[in-house]
Amino acid sequence: MNRFIEKRTVDMQVIGEWVEPQSRVLDLGCGRGELMDYLVQAKQVYATGVDLSFERISACVRRGLSAYQGDMTAFMRAFPDRHFDRVICARTVHELDDPAGVILEALRVGSTVTVGFVNHAFYKNRLGELLRGRKVRNAVYTTAWHESRPANHLTIADFEDFCRIKSIRIARRAHLLGDWRTPCPILPNLFAGYALYDLARD
Amino acid sequence: MTDDEEAPVSPGTQPRHAAGDGVGLVQPRDFVHLEPFTFMSGQTIQAFTLRYETYGALNATRDNAVLVCHALSGDHHCAGWHTPSDAKPGWWDNLIGPGKAVDTRRFYVVCANVLGGCQGSTGPSSIDPATGRPYGTRFPFVTIRDMVRSQKLLLDHLGISELHAVMGGSMGGMTAIMFAIEYPQFTRRQIIMASTANESAQAIAFNEVGRQAIMQDPEWNNGDYARDGGPRVGLAIARMMAHITYLSDVGMDRKFGRRKRESAGGEVYSFDAQFEVESYLRHQGQSFINRFDANSYLYITRAIDQFDPARGAGSLEKAFAPVCAESLVVGFTSDWLFPPEQNRTIALALLRAFKRASYAELSTDLGHDSFLLESEALYGLVRGFLERSEAYVFDFTI
Repeated sequence: MNRFIEKRTVDMQVIGEWVEPQSRVLDLGCGRGELMDYLVQAKQVYATGVDLSFERISACVRRGLSAYQGDMTAFMRAFPDRHFDRVICARTVHELDDPAGVILEALRVGSTVTVGFVNHAFYKNRLGELLRGRKVRNAVYTTAWHESRPANHLTIADFEDFCRIKSIRIARRAHLLGDWRTPCPILPNLFAGYALYDLARD
Repeated sequence: MTDDEEAPVSPGTQPRHAAGDGVGLVQPRDFVHLEPFTFMSGQTIQAFTLRYETYGALNATRDNAVLVCHALSGDHHCAGWHTPSDAKPGWWDNLIGPGKAVDTRRFYVVCANVLGGCQGSTGPSSIDPATGRPYGTRFPFVTIRDMVRSQKLLLDHLGISELHAVMGGSMGGMTAIMFAIEYPQFTRRQIIMASTANESAQAIAFNEVGRQAIMQDPEWNNGDYARDGGPRVGLAIARMMAHITYLSDVGMDRKFGRRKRESAGGEVYSFDAQFEVESYLRHQGQSFINRFDANSYLYITRAIDQFDPARGAGSLEKAFAPVCAESLVVGFTSDWLFPPEQNRTIALALLRAFKRASYAELSTDLGHDSFLLESEALYGLVRGFLERSEAYVFDFTI
């Protein structure tokens, strides 16, 4: 469990390096506000989060953060173009009903969109499924199939293909090895455990 | 709000006012403003009184005050007991008190009956010093902004330098909104529950039916009636109808269903109250006429209908431009009078205006009155918003 929390921190630090100080940040699927809290303290950003659960919004409010309980696409539709400097969608894309719709709407309300996701094609996941013939279970995929919500896992190759089809410009990318810390030097779709992208509209 | 949503006093135990779980016995006080007050309508009265209560103590820096704003039929008595024999405590006693969500050990809670009201503050049932008779409909038209401006005079009188928070449900939420717009430097936080930035046609329509019930009652007499008289039938019908709008279909079904009164016997072919819901509404109407003035009902519902800060400013986010307060907006799923969507609208406009605002939504079946809900989730949200420290230490272990 400790390892999982440490990975979260690494995730935050990479995003923190990309976020401009004092910028307007929207965090889609903000959870209990850990990332927003980090960015507010490290980068003095003006942060707003969206999440579906009352308990998570309440936790954000307790931290003094702005958070909105509701559907993220409906939320974004209430804002004019480029209202936010950056929209962050970290570890949420695989749970979305309409990932393309969310990312395109985020590209409208945000100047930059940061997407972070677990690379499902990481070689250990491939090997595990190939050799064990079972659903992947590890520090990232912690639950058995019967305890899990439906998830729409994606890979680095899938995501880059999506950006090409939708003419979305990839302004920056970070591929991290299985430790979610060390940059991945080669064959990211095979060796990267986590991927982060900064997207912009052409 | 409804009259009987509070938890009943449990029989056979120590009376709750003495049990130490609330603010205990409280006394209302009167703030008398002896200077002319000009309403938004341009009409002026030479002096006014606001009846109010306070709980807790004002701190040395005079900035720990929480102003609680009541709804249409509410009053200044939002916590504690007036006498040991009271049937029930103040209307928000579950939320306000020592160690409660609005902690009176930390905060100095102030609640005043609104201008135009009838629970001790100056309103249409007050005596017009010019004539020696009740104002009636000669009382100036009241707006939410008038209510706010008069309450600010009270807060100045109490020596409050800034509000830690202003909060309220329904019309109380409108009052909070207007406070944050009108006194931006003075208002640090606002909590808006089950409210709206402007009523829908449906909500105005319900208010109009209530007003017509009153004004079509011959006893209304153009607002000129004796203190113990007046349009009691019209006011009771207005209240019965409005009461339905504070509940929900599911909530009423759970509470009453199709249950019949014991005393109804087997008689079916009669117009006497047979169903429990009928006798409940009749009781609500009757108890209301003993504590509320019909003209106040007209004035306050009119103030609620007129509330529309976006209209003068061009848009809601422009109206919110001066706001400095951090905002918490709370909607309730079963509220069909001021539904979640209208509460979301407030939070979204604040965010579009680059303000710090949160929106949370509770699933309940109690309808519009849900803001009076006894819910640990709601208490935790309110407490978290009011009490979180300015510098939250980042905790990576959460």
